[in-house]
Amino acid sequence: MDFSASHRDASGATTGHNYELEVTISGRVDPETGMVIDLKDLKEVMEREIDARFDHRSLSDDTPYFRDRPVTPETFAALIFSLLDAALPKGMLHRIRLSPTDRLTVEVTR
Amino acid sequence: MIRVTRRYDFSAAHVLARPDWPLQRNQHVYGKCANPAGHGHNYRIEVAIEGEPDRVTGRVLPEEHLDEVVRGRVLGNLDGRFLNRDVDAFHEAVPTAENIARFIWDTLAGHVAPARLVGVRLVETRNNSVEYDGTEEFA
Repeated sequence: MDFSASHRDASGATTGHNYELEVTISGRVDPETGMVIDLKDLKEVMEREIDARFDHRSLSDDTPYFRDRPVTPETFAALIFSLLDAALPKGMLHRIRLSPTDRLTVEVTR
Repeated sequence: MIRVTRRYDFSAAHVLARPDWPLQRNQHVYGKCANPAGHGHNYRIEVAIEGEPDRVTGRVLPEEHLDEVVRGRVLGNLDGRFLNRDVDAFHEAVPTAENIARFIWDTLAGHVAPARLVGVRLVETRNNSVEYDGTEEFA
């Protein structure tokens, strides 16, 4: 999924990105549905946990998690992983990849 | 543990040919890539490092630090060069994508502390790329 957000950098200047987020889940294929997860459900979790929280917001100002730590691709990726991990069925989240630009990707794997 | 992958580009010329083999044998093994006039690629490098984000900076490694190391040690030696002639490492080793990836790994490993180098991916063309994680011994 894609979303856009702003944050303050180390010098205090406000900057922003179009973030690209890739979510990988892993688990047993349900013998009845043939799916690991219904992509509708995954999409709903991503929209609620990520898009609604961060899209067109300031990470520095609107997110309590960043009150006492800097916004970096690494800290943001760690936050996204923990939000999705808590919202998805236990142990299903395998990896997230967050790209603030097409030259940088940060990856958190279980 | 967080993995950070950063992308860089360079352009270079090379010939795939062993200097100790006759032309015919090189052409048999390397095909048109053995053409002595050389040919070039727009290469892409993806450098992957792993580590814990620093408590204060929130970074695994300051981006400027990685950029400086890659520019200084890798791009500065490869960009715009004829690899076989201009880069010492390729006077003997044939500058295949495999050997270039290993060269990049060897050049960067040990210079990204406190992070750890975990992967080098070299994209030679849209159809060819190689990945090296430093674990396999080269013959």
